[in-house]
Amino acid sequence: MTAQTAIDAIRVAFQADLDTIATAQDLQSVRDRYLGRKQGQVAALMKSMAGAAPADRPALGKAANVLKREIDAALTQRRETLKASGRPAGSVDVTLPGRELPFGRRHPLTLIREQVESIFETMGFEILQGPQVEDDHHNFEALNMPPDHPARDMQDTFYLERPMPGGGEGSVRPATLLRTHTSGMQIRYMESHEPPVRIIAPGLVYRRDTPDLTHSPMFMQVEGLLVGEGITMADLKGTLVGFLRRFFDAGTRVMFRPSFFPYTEPSAEVFISCVFCGGDGCAVCKQTGWLEILGCGMVHPAVFEAVGYDPERYTGWAFGLGIDRVALLKYRVEDIRLFYDNDLRLLEQFPH
Amino acid sequence: MSWLQELVEVPIGPAGAGPAGPKDIAELADALTMRGFEVSAVEPWPAADGAPPDAVLDLEITTNRPDCLSVFGIAREVGAIYAADCHLPEREPAVAADGDASISISIEDPDLCPRYVGALADVEVGPSPRWLAARLEAADVRPINNVVDVTNYVMLELGHPMHAFDLAKLAGPEIRVRRAADGERIRTLDGVERTLQPEMLTIADSQQAQAVAGVMGGADSEVGVATRTIVLEAAYFNPISVRRTNKRLALSTDASFRFERGADVLAPITAIARARHLLTAIGAGRARGAVVDCFPDPPDPIVVRLRHHRIGHLLGQTVDPSFVAPTLTRLGFAPRLERDDESPVWQVTVPSFRVDVSREEDLIEEVARHHGYERLPTTFPALTRPPQAAGDWRPRDQTIRRLLTGCGFSEAITYGFIEREAALAVHEDASDLVALSNPLSEKGAVLRPSLLPGLVDSLIHNRRRERQDIRLFELGSRFRQGDGETPSLALALTGAAMAQHWTGSERKADLFDLTGALTRLAEGFGVHAAFEPDTTRALVPGRTARVQLTIGPDTTHVGWVGQLDPALASRRGLPGAHEVYVAELDLGPLTREAFARLRAAPVPRHPSIVRDLSLAIDDALPAAQVRDTIRAAAGPTLVSVREVDRYQGSGVAAGAVSLSVRLTFRASDRTLTDAEVQTATDRVVSALEEAHSAKLR
Repeated sequence: MTAQTAIDAIRVAFQADLDTIATAQDLQSVRDRYLGRKQGQVAALMKSMAGAAPADRPALGKAANVLKREIDAALTQRRETLKASGRPAGSVDVTLPGRELPFGRRHPLTLIREQVESIFETMGFEILQGPQVEDDHHNFEALNMPPDHPARDMQDTFYLERPMPGGGEGSVRPATLLRTHTSGMQIRYMESHEPPVRIIAPGLVYRRDTPDLTHSPMFMQVEGLLVGEGITMADLKGTLVGFLRRFFDAGTRVMFRPSFFPYTEPSAEVFISCVFCGGDGCAVCKQTGWLEILGCGMVHPAVFEAVGYDPERYTGWAFGLGIDRVALLKYRVEDIRLFYDNDLRLLEQFPH
Repeated sequence: MSWLQELVEVPIGPAGAGPAGPKDIAELADALTMRGFEVSAVEPWPAADGAPPDAVLDLEITTNRPDCLSVFGIAREVGAIYAADCHLPEREPAVAADGDASISISIEDPDLCPRYVGALADVEVGPSPRWLAARLEAADVRPINNVVDVTNYVMLELGHPMHAFDLAKLAGPEIRVRRAADGERIRTLDGVERTLQPEMLTIADSQQAQAVAGVMGGADSEVGVATRTIVLEAAYFNPISVRRTNKRLALSTDASFRFERGADVLAPITAIARARHLLTAIGAGRARGAVVDCFPDPPDPIVVRLRHHRIGHLLGQTVDPSFVAPTLTRLGFAPRLERDDESPVWQVTVPSFRVDVSREEDLIEEVARHHGYERLPTTFPALTRPPQAAGDWRPRDQTIRRLLTGCGFSEAITYGFIEREAALAVHEDASDLVALSNPLSEKGAVLRPSLLPGLVDSLIHNRRRERQDIRLFELGSRFRQGDGETPSLALALTGAAMAQHWTGSERKADLFDLTGALTRLAEGFGVHAAFEPDTTRALVPGRTARVQLTIGPDTTHVGWVGQLDPALASRRGLPGAHEVYVAELDLGPLTREAFARLRAAPVPRHPSIVRDLSLAIDDALPAAQVRDTIRAAAGPTLVSVREVDRYQGSGVAAGAVSLSVRLTFRASDRTLTDAEVQTATDRVVSALEEAHSAKLR
């Protein structure tokens, strides 16, 4: 075997051994096998060169040195790779708490509002927002509540000391009061759109009520309005039952009962089977098994006339839902005022 | 119940169960509730000897149904439910037998009083019999004496308010229905001296007002033990006038409650006849003379056309015509068939007590109520055009909520009205404030011109309840005389930026936590936020910036960020010395439009090269200017500039600061060479030296 052949053979053998290295120990033994000072194959090769022809010695020595550097570089690189994929020693206490990353919550009224919005969105409703400062026309008069109407007592109103610029869709008049309900959005939308109408309008409303467990001078409502040809009270029932069963529970029972609102005729109050006792009777439902949840009815023809719709051709329905009331029921909060304290001990109980 | 059963023939009990009557009182209560008269309570009531058990029903009557503010009104509804006959109670004929002289009545203002009926009766005042007093008590009306009790009994029974004057205390047998003189005074039955105005109607004798019409009688002509002859009044007063008067006088009575909702213009005669009968029946007196009816202009009855097909059209279910007409008839309507085919049409005469009915829909509601809402089917209305998207506000607000909750801010909702002082603390211009004319208290005197006062109060509320680290935001309207109602976003934070953790110590939040959140917010909208030193009310000078958003080609000043003035925080109740940082932005210009036109750029294919520069600069020089100089000098291959260290102290001259910036260079079409980057960096260094006398360290 010539010296050159021996060099090639070592190179091939090394390549095979290199591929078998899996641990630091393997690496050390391969290194010892090839580069060991006494037993190493490269050292042996150097020693065997003493027997080569003197003319060949410089070239062979050079080739052997190249081989040595190659092996060294390959092993060094291999060590780095081994180090990077190696597992660290020791352990950490995985039960220690993780770092508290910033994590805020949406307001519970926002959660309810967005749930309501998304259910109606799937039913094809457009979602609107309107101004909180309103004029008498949109808040009362166009809703069939002329001045001195006794129904205005049901909604004690905050008035502005002097008018301010009004806003929103539909006709713009100076605002003179804080809206007592979101129903003004019915008027604003119909003033600027032709039927069919399919909208909901959530927002804050204000009534001059002394605050207590169930009353707040500001609260959140969502208004719904659907107008078209051939729209019936059965459609109203079907839509609201569908909504309430998705919002609360598929087994929720729903009851419609005659009521009075100046802007709907016929009017109804809607009750659901008590979400706490399932209808058996408890303190929350005052042993009736039912909870009042919203008011609704067929749009009064006087409302259609106020916005220039033909009440012979179009029929429609509207509803108003108190977001706070639903939140009180759904989350069983005891006091409506807690929603406006913004106490983080309450807010942080709700999902993100 | 016994009273009700005097007026309507409905058997109650197992025998009567079925279409003819309810099996018990609870079932009757349910039936009334389901027809719109919510029975809120059924209280057992002691029955007369040998009589079946009695009960008191508490009913909630909606404002449109004044006719049901009486036992007879409810009897009529019960009659319609069970197809039972109801009938008026016993009355005395309107014309007295003796034909004695009576009283004279003049109505000076028939608009406010279209009808006034008066009659005399000789009385012997004393206590009422037990049965009558008990019925008043059941209705929460205090028995007074037999005469007054009879007037109240008639009101509860028939729904029509009455009054009795002591004839001897009047200036004569003459009643004048007239407006009050300006400043005219009257002492009402509750003993209060009241000053009247000409818009108020009075019942007067020839000398003075003796009653506030439809509201309350006067003390001067009050019926007492010495009374021998009374003038009985049953009249109809204009609802709006009664409502205005009782609002002005802040005096709401059982009478005004009924008149302002609308009494029955045809009821006064019935009421007088019933009262005269009762006086005799209980031995309290006897009628004298004829009943005088002053009714100058009786109105024509209202007739409404009802088309059978419209009932189904509105309700979504056909109701049998053979149900429609009899139900309306039992309720007091007079339907007359105008067309009798498969789609009948009726001309329905509306009784005078149904002040709520004037159109076809009102009649359809009557049919629907008695047909039963529970029997209507449930259907779902077809979509007849594609659903419309919500306005820009919705994706905007959703994005803000997502980003800020992700940055650790929780959402607050605070009241739209605040204290005037709190408003002025953040908004200098008092004339721009929107004040309420009837606030609940000084705490809500003005509409908020800014969300900050409410949000800061919420932060303080939490700080006072053991909470150290607070981050809040609110999205909402603010109100100004000048700008009107505009959408706004406010943020507030205090305490630790990183909560204490076992791996190390906490870090206190500072201004840069808030500017960082705002920068993140801007990035979420694809726009650029910049902060410029400035000052504004309520924020600490030197720690305040105006916030500018660059949206498309426009840069807009949208609000402020800074440290809240500690004196203000302490005035609002913040305990101790805690730094509070706040920001408020006008949301008007902010939309997600930037993303509507978004086209993704190719991901970089060539490596970047980083150069760090340490500069000694004047410490008053804003970092933004240094950044601008670097950007302008470096050329197009500079992709980012970032301040990585800022140091003052040993080794840095007084008044100077050592600022380290990291420049990242990259080209999209090639790998940059060291030489290219060095050239750009040299340009940057000399530009910095020239513009800011910056020295490389």
